[in-house]
Amino acid sequence: MPETMRVIYSAFRMAMLHWMADPQWVIPNIIAPFVFTTVALTLFKDSTGPFGLYAVLGGGMMGMWGNTIYSSGYAIEFEKWQGTLEEVIAAPSNLMHVITGRAISNALFGLTNMLAVLLIAGLIFRVPLGIADPLLFAVGLILTLLSVSALGLIFASAFVLSRSAQALTNGLETPLYIISGSMFPIALLPFWIHPAAYVLGPTWGIDAVRLATSADYASQSFWAGMNPSFAIFLDLMIMMLITLAYVFAATALFKIVEKRARTTGTMVEA
Amino acid sequence: MNNLKVFVSSAIFSFRAQFDWLNPAMWITMKFVLSLSQMAFFAFVGVFAGASVPFIAIGNALQSLSWNTVFSVINITGHDKWDGTLPLVLATPAHRMPLFIGRAMIHVVDGLISVAISFAFAAFIFGVNFGQADVLALTLTVFLTAFTMAGFGLFIGGLSFFFRNPMVFANIFTFVLLIFCGVNFPVQSLPTVIQPVSYLFPLTYGITAARSAISGGNLIQIAPTLALQLIVGFAAMVVGFLFFRSFENSARKTGKMEAI
Repeated sequence: MPETMRVIYSAFRMAMLHWMADPQWVIPNIIAPFVFTTVALTLFKDSTGPFGLYAVLGGGMMGMWGNTIYSSGYAIEFEKWQGTLEEVIAAPSNLMHVITGRAISNALFGLTNMLAVLLIAGLIFRVPLGIADPLLFAVGLILTLLSVSALGLIFASAFVLSRSAQALTNGLETPLYIISGSMFPIALLPFWIHPAAYVLGPTWGIDAVRLATSADYASQSFWAGMNPSFAIFLDLMIMMLITLAYVFAATALFKIVEKRARTTGTMVEA
Repeated sequence: MNNLKVFVSSAIFSFRAQFDWLNPAMWITMKFVLSLSQMAFFAFVGVFAGASVPFIAIGNALQSLSWNTVFSVINITGHDKWDGTLPLVLATPAHRMPLFIGRAMIHVVDGLISVAISFAFAAFIFGVNFGQADVLALTLTVFLTAFTMAGFGLFIGGLSFFFRNPMVFANIFTFVLLIFCGVNFPVQSLPTVIQPVSYLFPLTYGITAARSAISGGNLIQIAPTLALQLIVGFAAMVVGFLFFRSFENSARKTGKMEAI
C-alpha cells in the first residue's frame, strides 16, 4: 500500500476505534440536528407544500454538517487533552493525510447521522420519505458528504492553532445552518448574505438532493424552469469545483499551520 | 461566614475555570454569535412556516441563558472529572451545600448578560416591541429564570456525576429545551401526552411569564407562574444536591470517581 494511503487508512482506523471505544460521543453530534428538525416539523405541521422535505433533508444535512464541524474541532482538542498532538505533528507522516483519514471517518459518521434523522422523521413524524430519483439522490448525498469533509479539513487546520476550538465548534454550527439554507430557501436571507451561501459547497448539494427527492421542489430550486436532471448536474458540478478549492486551500493552510507549529513550539498552549 | 467564603470562592473558581480552554475575547464573541445565530435560525424557519417572529425571538432570548445555566453548569462536573480536580473537591472539609450551589451562581450572572444581549437582538433585528413591557416584572422573570435554570443545571450535573461523560447530558438537556419549553411554538402544539413533561422545566414558566410581561402583564398577574417556577427550580436543585452527596458517599466507598 502506498505510504499516503497507509497513513490515511491508519488515521481512519484509529478514529473508528476511538469512536467504538466511546460511542456516546455520537449523541452531541446528532442532538442539535434532531431537535432542530423536530422544531421545524412542528412549526410546519399546519403548512402545505414541500415543507416536510425542507425540514427532513435539512435536518439530515445539518447532521452531516454538525458531525464534521464537531469532529474537526474535537479531533484536535482530544489530541491536546491526551498529550498526543506533539507526536502527531512530529511524526514524519503528512499532517494533511492524518486529518484526511479522520475526515473520511467523520463523513461516514455524518452519513449515519443523516440516516438517523431520516428514520426518526419517517417513524415518529410520519413524514413521507419517497425519493423520486434514488440514484441521483445517492450521488448527490455522497458528493455533498465529500464537500462537507473538505470544508472540515479547512476548519481542522485552523483549529490546530486555536485554544478555542471547542468554542468555535459551538459557534460555527448554527451560522452555517443558516447560510447554507438548510431548512428554508436562501431567498429569505438578506441579500448581502447570499454570496457567502454560494461559496459553501453544501448549499448546492442540498439543492441537488432536494431536486432528486421531489418534483414539487423544482420551482424553488436555483435552476427553476430547467430540466431537473440537468439542474442536478449543474448543482453537483459547481459543488465539486468548490470542493476542489477547499482541498487546495486546506493543503496550503496545513503547510502554514504545521510550519508555524514547528517554529513557535506553542501548538499545545495555543 | 466560612460557608459564605466557600460559596463565593466556588462561584468564582467555577467561572474562571472555563478560561482554561476559552479566552475572554472568544467568550464575549460567542455570547453574541450564539444568541444571534440561534434566534436567526428559528426566526427564518418561522418566516418560512408563517409563524410569529417576535414569539420565536422572545423564546430564544430566554432560552439563551441555558447555555450558561445548564450547559456550563453541567460541564463543571465534566471538567472536574477530566482535569482531575474531583478528588480534591471531595477531600475538602468545606460544607457541601454552598460548595455545590456556589459553583452555579456566576453562571446565573453570565446567563443574565446573555438574555440582555438577546433582548437587544430581539428588539432591533426581530421586531419585538418592548414599548408595553412591565420592566420590573420582566427583570424579575429573567432573574428567576436564570436562577431556577441553574437549579436545573445542578440537578442534571448532580446526576451526571454517575456517568463517565457529562458533556453528553449537557448537550441533550440544553437542546431539548427547544422542544419542550414553548421556545418556538406554544407547549399546546406538542402531543397531549408529552405536554406535562414541559412543566418539569423551569424555563417553560419563565418564557410564559416573559411573554406576558413584555405584552404588559404586571407582577401580580405573573406571580402564580413565577411561584411554580421557583418550586420546580428549587426542587431540582435539592435533588441535584442529593445526587451529589450520594455520589460522594459511593465514591468514598468504592474509590471510583472519574471513570464510573
